[in-house]
Parts: sequence; C-alpha cells; structure tokens
Amino acid sequence: METTRVAATYSNVNEARSAIQRGEIYAFLYIPRNTTSDLMAQRQPSISIYYSSVVMMAGALLYRDMRIVGMLGSLSVAATKLSALGKSEGEIKSFVQPIAVDVHPVNNPGINYNVYLSTFMVPGVLMLFFFIVTVYSVGTELKFNRSREWMQLSGGNAWVAITGKLLPQFLIFFSMMAFYMLYVFGVMGFPHQGGLLRILLLAVLTVTSAEGFAVFMFCIMPSLRMSMSICSLWAVLGLSMGGATYPVFAMDGVLETLSWLFPLRHYYMIYQIAVFNGYPLSDCWIHVVILTAFSLMPLLDAHRLRKAMIEYVYIP
Amino acid sequence: MSTFLRYAKEAIHDMCYIWWMEMKNVVKDDGVLIFFVLVPLAYPLAYSWIYNNEVVHDVPVAVVDMSHSELSRQFIRMMDASSDVHTAYYCNSLAEAESLVGHQVVKGVVYLPSDFDKKIQRGEQAHVSVYCDMALMLTYKALFSTATNVSLAMNRQIQVSKLGSATQRDEEINTTPMVIEEVPIFNPTGGYGSAVLPGVLVLILQQTLLLGIGLSAGTARENNRYKDLVPVSRHYNGIFRIVTGKALCYLMIYTVMAAYDTLVIPKLFGFTQLVRGSDLIGLMLPYLLSCIFFGMMLSCLVRYRENVMLLVVFTSVPMLFLSGISWPQSSIPGFWQGVSWLIPSTFGIRGFLRISSMGGTLHDIHTEYTVLWIQSIVYFFATCLVYRYQVIKSRRHVNERLEMMRQKVRKYIVHSSSSDYGESQSR
Repeated sequence: METTRVAATYSNVNEARSAIQRGEIYAFLYIPRNTTSDLMAQRQPSISIYYSSVVMMAGALLYRDMRIVGMLGSLSVAATKLSALGKSEGEIKSFVQPIAVDVHPVNNPGINYNVYLSTFMVPGVLMLFFFIVTVYSVGTELKFNRSREWMQLSGGNAWVAITGKLLPQFLIFFSMMAFYMLYVFGVMGFPHQGGLLRILLLAVLTVTSAEGFAVFMFCIMPSLRMSMSICSLWAVLGLSMGGATYPVFAMDGVLETLSWLFPLRHYYMIYQIAVFNGYPLSDCWIHVVILTAFSLMPLLDAHRLRKAMIEYVYIP
Repeated sequence: MSTFLRYAKEAIHDMCYIWWMEMKNVVKDDGVLIFFVLVPLAYPLAYSWIYNNEVVHDVPVAVVDMSHSELSRQFIRMMDASSDVHTAYYCNSLAEAESLVGHQVVKGVVYLPSDFDKKIQRGEQAHVSVYCDMALMLTYKALFSTATNVSLAMNRQIQVSKLGSATQRDEEINTTPMVIEEVPIFNPTGGYGSAVLPGVLVLILQQTLLLGIGLSAGTARENNRYKDLVPVSRHYNGIFRIVTGKALCYLMIYTVMAAYDTLVIPKLFGFTQLVRGSDLIGLMLPYLLSCIFFGMMLSCLVRYRENVMLLVVFTSVPMLFLSGISWPQSSIPGFWQGVSWLIPSTFGIRGFLRISSMGGTLHDIHTEYTVLWIQSIVYFFATCLVYRYQVIKSRRHVNERLEMMRQKVRKYIVHSSSSDYGESQSR
C-alpha cells in the first residue's frame, strides 16, 4: 500500500494502544491467536482493525487501506478453496467478488493532497495579510497624526485619498497573488483547466475584495485596533467557513447562510468551478458578482473617512 | 545573612509590585483585555459551533444508471438507505454527472455500466465505478466506505444464491470466512471537530498570549517618554524581578483561561475528553510558561502596539499545520520539523491531543513535556537578556536626558551669571 507503512509489531493490544498515545503509529491490526487454524477449520475467526481518527487524514487513509487488506485476506480464503475444486481464475474472481467497486478521483488522478491544501490555505493566509495590511496602512495615518496632511493632499476628497493609497498596494498584492498562482499552476503543474485569463481574474478579484472589505470595516470603525481585530477574526474564520476543510453543507443551516459573507468562500467556489474543473465563468457568476460587490463595499461608507481623518484622535 | 534576607524581601516586594502594576495595566487597556479575556472566551465557542455537527451525513451524490435493471436499482437503493450517502441526482450520462461534481452540487458519482446486470447473471465480475471529489477527506471516506459496504452486502447475497449451502451457518462461513471488526478508537465517530478543535483551543491560548503581551509592551513603549519598554523606577531594579513579576500576572490570568479552554469547552460540546487533572496541570504549566516567555522575548520587537497583530495573526495557520494536526507529523519535511521545535504550540498541541483525546499519561508525552520545560527555561533567560538590554537602554536614555538638562542648566547659570556680571559692570 502506498499510504501505509508497517512500522512495528507489538506483543499485545495495550502496547500498541500506548504506541498510538505516544504518537508513534496511527492504527494497528489485531490478529488473535489461532487465526490461521480457525480459518482452516472453518471456525470463522475475527481480526480487528483499530484506527485513531485524532489525525483525520491519517485515520481516513489507514482505514481504507486496512479494510482493503482485511477484505483481501477474507477473499483469499475463498479463492484457495475454489482453486482446490479446480475452478479457473476468472470463475474465482467473479465468485468471490461479483461486484467490484473502482474508485476514481475526479480531475486529480494522483490524489495529490497539496493541490487542495495549497490552493486554499495559502490564498486564505494571503487574504488575511491583505486585510490587515490595508487596515493598518489607512489606520496608521491617524495614529501618527498624518491624517490631515493626507486629506489635504487629496484635496479633501476621500475617494482620491483611498484610490491613491490603495493603488500601489493593489499592484504589490496583485503581483504577490499572481506570482503565487502562476507558480502553483505553471511550475508545480496543479490541475487548471480554466486557463490563464481566469486565474488572473481570480487573483484580481481576491485582492480587490480583500481591500474593499478592509476599507469598509475601517470606515465603520475608524479605530485601528478594533478594525484590525475584526478583519483578522473575519479572515481566520474564513479559513473554516470556506468549506475546503469541513463541508459547508454539513454545518448548521445558519452557518451555511453566513458562509456567503466570507470572501474566501467565493474565491473557493470560483476556483473549484472555473479553474480546477474548467467550467465557464457564467456557471459561477453569482460568486464573481459577490466578490465584485465586496470590492465596491467602500462606496457605502467611504464618506465617513474624511470626517474620521480630520476629527478623530488616536487613543492608545 | 540579614543582608541577604533584606535583599530577598526587597526583591519579592518589587516583584509583587510589578505584578500588581502589570495587572492594573492589563485591566485598564481594553485592547489587551480583548485578547486576554474576550478572544479566549468567545473564539472557541465560534469554532465549536462551526464544527459542532462533527461528521457528514447524506453526502449528495449523482447516480448514472446505464443498466436499468433490478440489481442496479437495488444497489442504488441500498446506497441511498445508508446514513452517509444521499442520491440527490439521477443523470443520463457520466459527463452530466461530472459537471454536477464540478459545480460543487454533488460530491461524487456512482456509475453503473450497461452490462452490470448481465455480467452478474452470467457469472462474470461486474464493476461499479465511484468518482469522488477528493477535496474533502470526510466526503471521500463516507462515499468510499458506503459503496464498499453495499457491494459487500450484495456480493454475499449473490454468493449464497450460487452456493446452495446446507445450513445457515454454512452460508455464513462460506461467505465470510473471517470477520473483520473495525474499532475506531479515541475519536469514535471520526468527527472533524474532535480531531481539529483540541489543537485549535491550545493554539488560541498561545496566540492570544503573544498578542496580549505584545500589545501591552507596545503600549508601555508608546506611553513611555523615551519610547522605552522598561520604566526607570525604584521598583524596576533587577531583571529577574521585572520578568517574573510580569510573567506572574500573565500566568494568573491564563490559568483561568486554560482551564476554560481545555476543560469547559470540550465538556460543553462533547469532545472526547480522557484527561486526568494532574496530567493536565503537568502539561499546561510548562506550556503556559514557555508561551509567556516566548511572548515576552518577542515583545521587545514590538515598537507600536498594532504591529504585533501583523506578526502574530499571520503565523497562526502555519503554526497549526506544523503541529501535525491535519497533516501527519511523520510527513512534514525535515526543515519545517526543525522550525516547529522552536514554537511552544507544537508540543502543547501534540501533548494535549495525546493526554486529552487519547487518554495518555504524562509518561506517554515525556518528549513533549521535557521540550516544553526546556523551552520555558531557555526563553526565560532569553527574555532576561533582552530585558537587560532594554533596561540598559532606558537608563542610558534617562542619563542622556539628565546630562542634557544639566548642560542646559549649567549654560543657563553661566549665561545668567555672565549677564549679571555684565550688568554689574555697566552699572
């Protein structure tokens, strides 16, 4: 088995169990005394698979492997018996397993787990970074008493001020995101049926939605500390609510609805539908629209920025 | 002897004074309060809510039945009747079903080929294809094990009908020569929450400590006239006093928070909890101490209070992964294993999972426990060194300032005396 390695043999169950507790192994197979002779004598012996799902991935993969092994063991008994009766290989195969199940992973034949992890977790962390840095860069103007100067430079227009501030940041963030995506899809060769244009569009939307959300939050709460806290909370929760680790449909109904409020969730859906599986963007238009809406959220409250910048004083 | 006693008394007095001052600072600063109290209290609740359902039931799958026979319908019925799989869509072609997977509507496809029934009746092996979206381990496991179980059950029926055994027991032995028992241990439902949350809870303790300590250090600096971390005062005299005094304050708050996160939350949400009190204290004490000193050591890097958030929040996710909670520890590359040895949470999480989720004892987590104590001691001395540097710097700032004042005064005196002299001359 590719995913399993027999690491050790133990003389009793207790030893094996404490090896799991020490983190040396993740599962063990218990074969009681007289298994072979019971098998020969048709006394139906039983063997046990003990597996620990405390580490999810190890538990699930080992469960699968050990089940297959157990099944093969059981089948080989029948096969030996049948071959003694003079049955051909084909006959034996169809008798011991009339229905065989073949498992095919969709679009990821090598079951490369990195494909799922790195296309969700890393953009999630980058988004967290965009959130915090955007809020920080706007908020520090207040903190270091440069806010009035900033407003003067932009002629008192909050829009000019925000655009001027975020444009260079956008270029940096976008090149980070694009560089990362080109690296995983281009160099590492992760599956991407959607093509370059969609990957870049997704990168743009990810960055703008993060910046838009961050500015919106700061304009609601022009306190550097509070808006930074909220933004990091949002981004970190987004990693759970994105649905790449624990499926959204299995959460409580309320949470299923709330997941729409997290930009990362929409990133994930667009990535899955349009990039990974290569279906047209029109199939995930709603998520594109929502990410665009996130980017435009400052339209709602940016007028408060000017007032905040001129009147508020930073309180440590 | 009496001088030593007096010295010790003064040291303890100063330490308690610093402890008291730090406590006052924490309570007065709402930013620090948020991280020390609100986040450790509320965040675990949010997480537990998200993962409360633990396992997935009724994973939606699409069925492509090309056989349209009694046996194929039986297979589908049995799949649907299981607790884990729900046949949500019937499709006429594989392409149609795959597009449902691609659109995230279903998590897998069960494909029964047109010769499914014919092959079984002919005594040949029939194949059922299961196409899984591998992105989620939970749905993959649900679909895979359901399909296997259903095929096994149907295989048995087919075998029985072919064999013509004498007795029922004969049938049983012929179809199942060996019984395979599956015993999921420590996380019996295979729940996601039970697997991930204990680690997250322990990580929350470390991250909020780092944030809170960093924030209060930033505040201390910003309020200080010379942007120094340590004030020059009669009581802030001696490194050990300052470090232990501050650490005691943090430890006091976090004893409560750790008890809440490691005992109350698992109890509330029914996670596996096999821990014994003495083992928990034995692990948590070095864990909290190493986190506190780690945080205090890093807090010297913090110039402005908000900078700490940039540093700490960002590292949470990598730290969680380094602990080996989702990606098995044995498959983490060597370099990253090395990095993970520097971080308290790696050992705190591993140790906590083993004593709480797996019912181990302190003896079973000997390595984790020892490393945490070593970290505590090393970071304690590192903190002392860093604070020593800070104290020297702030003394120098004060001395420079004093010198400047003195020179000013001297200049003034010289100037005024000379002008006095001039005035008297002119008079």
